[in-house]
Amino acid sequence: MDLSYIAALMPALMQGLWQTLKIFALTLVFSLPLGLVFTLGSISRVLPLRWLARGYIWIFRGTPLMLQLFFVYYGLPFLGLTFDRFPAAVLTFVLNYAAYFAEIYRGGIQSIDRGQHEAAKTLGFTPWQTMRLIIIPQTVSRVIPPVCNETITLVKDTALVTAIGVGELLKAAQGAVNRDVNITAYVVAAVIYLAITFVMTMVYERLEKYFSRHQKKEA
Amino acid sequence: MPILTVENVTKRFGGFEALKGVSLTVERGEAVAIIGSSGSGKSTLLRCINDLERVSSGRIVIDGDTLVETVDGAVKYPPEKELRRICMKTGMVFQQFNLFPHLTCLENITIAPLQILKQNRADAIANADRLLRLVGLENKADSYPAMLSGGQQQRVAIARALAIDPQIMLFDEPTSALDPELTAEVTSVIAKLAQQDITMLIVTHEMEFARTVADRILFFEDGEIIAGGSAAEFFESQQNDRIKRFLSGFQK
Repeated sequence: MDLSYIAALMPALMQGLWQTLKIFALTLVFSLPLGLVFTLGSISRVLPLRWLARGYIWIFRGTPLMLQLFFVYYGLPFLGLTFDRFPAAVLTFVLNYAAYFAEIYRGGIQSIDRGQHEAAKTLGFTPWQTMRLIIIPQTVSRVIPPVCNETITLVKDTALVTAIGVGELLKAAQGAVNRDVNITAYVVAAVIYLAITFVMTMVYERLEKYFSRHQKKEA
Repeated sequence: MPILTVENVTKRFGGFEALKGVSLTVERGEAVAIIGSSGSGKSTLLRCINDLERVSSGRIVIDGDTLVETVDGAVKYPPEKELRRICMKTGMVFQQFNLFPHLTCLENITIAPLQILKQNRADAIANADRLLRLVGLENKADSYPAMLSGGQQQRVAIARALAIDPQIMLFDEPTSALDPELTAEVTSVIAKLAQQDITMLIVTHEMEFARTVADRILFFEDGEIIAGGSAAEFFESQQNDRIKRFLSGFQK
């Protein structure tokens, strides 16, 4: 390995990394809360709302993410909705990941013991107050591990956006490999992906500890 | 006027008749214990009184407010908001405690007064401190339920139920999930409440506890109250052979 060659690759790779991180961060910021909206819809007592949310989740979990990218970028213009590449990529990722998060949240919410709902009811809580003050706070610690898992998948899924021509880390590496007929750039890209997921794992361990503090027995 | 009136309440689960026309009244300050075999409908009755289950027919009146009545064969409940207000006249203690695990003991007790009754913070905390002293856990205010023994958790659950200032306390087998050692600390707290003339309806399998704490005993069998009377009468001079057999099963 030639260090000066790697150094020469870095500006392009860093630019790609910046795009990757932007897609990653924007997707999380919007899909985490949006997922909760679909969760509440999918367990709603209002049937049309429930069907709507469940249909949405079915469609976005049931079709390939890449197809969804194509649909948003190439297909929606036929319906009069045109997006630039980057917003199209982020929009698709947000809609797709919200569906996955919705199902994770639903699993967490439904794993809470019935007795919690009953206790809240006898204390005068409305169903919505019960959800907001009792059920959802307890769900947080339970869904952190699967949410963590999903976001690690997200880091790697960002590479799919090259399919609609958005430059990101993998595309930058691929450009260098093709130009120089040298696979070093792939190796560097792999190390960068690994570094990101390593840092994320650390962050999630902290989060898990913090949100399960009430489960600790007294030392 | 009784605090609680139950008239001819029936409850069916599918084809199974859990309650076959139960009637009872509880007067203010009275402690009434319901005993009987498992599956005889005791818990179902309690759960109908605070709307955790819907009755199939009958009438329940709590502190002058009608929780449910049957008019021309149709069961009639008030609108949800009114229903919640009426149910808050009861305080429920569950077999499995059902404390909120993500909240400290103090928060478990204050959450309903703060969020539902909109009490101010200082009052709610002062009242919670008083209740924690009443159940003997003033040093556990900041502990989470997972840090407590089952008996301690149940005592916090009693304090939590008392915090909404109910007219009648409902205990659904409050000691059934506890080992004998921990049972005593819970029964003695309930006995203390009885001495303070807090109205209560207790479903229990602890005969000694029922005998010492309750003013009156009701005996449940197959979804019906088949006998009842003052605690002394019921235990000391029981004539019914079925009940004698049931009671002798509990002799130590």
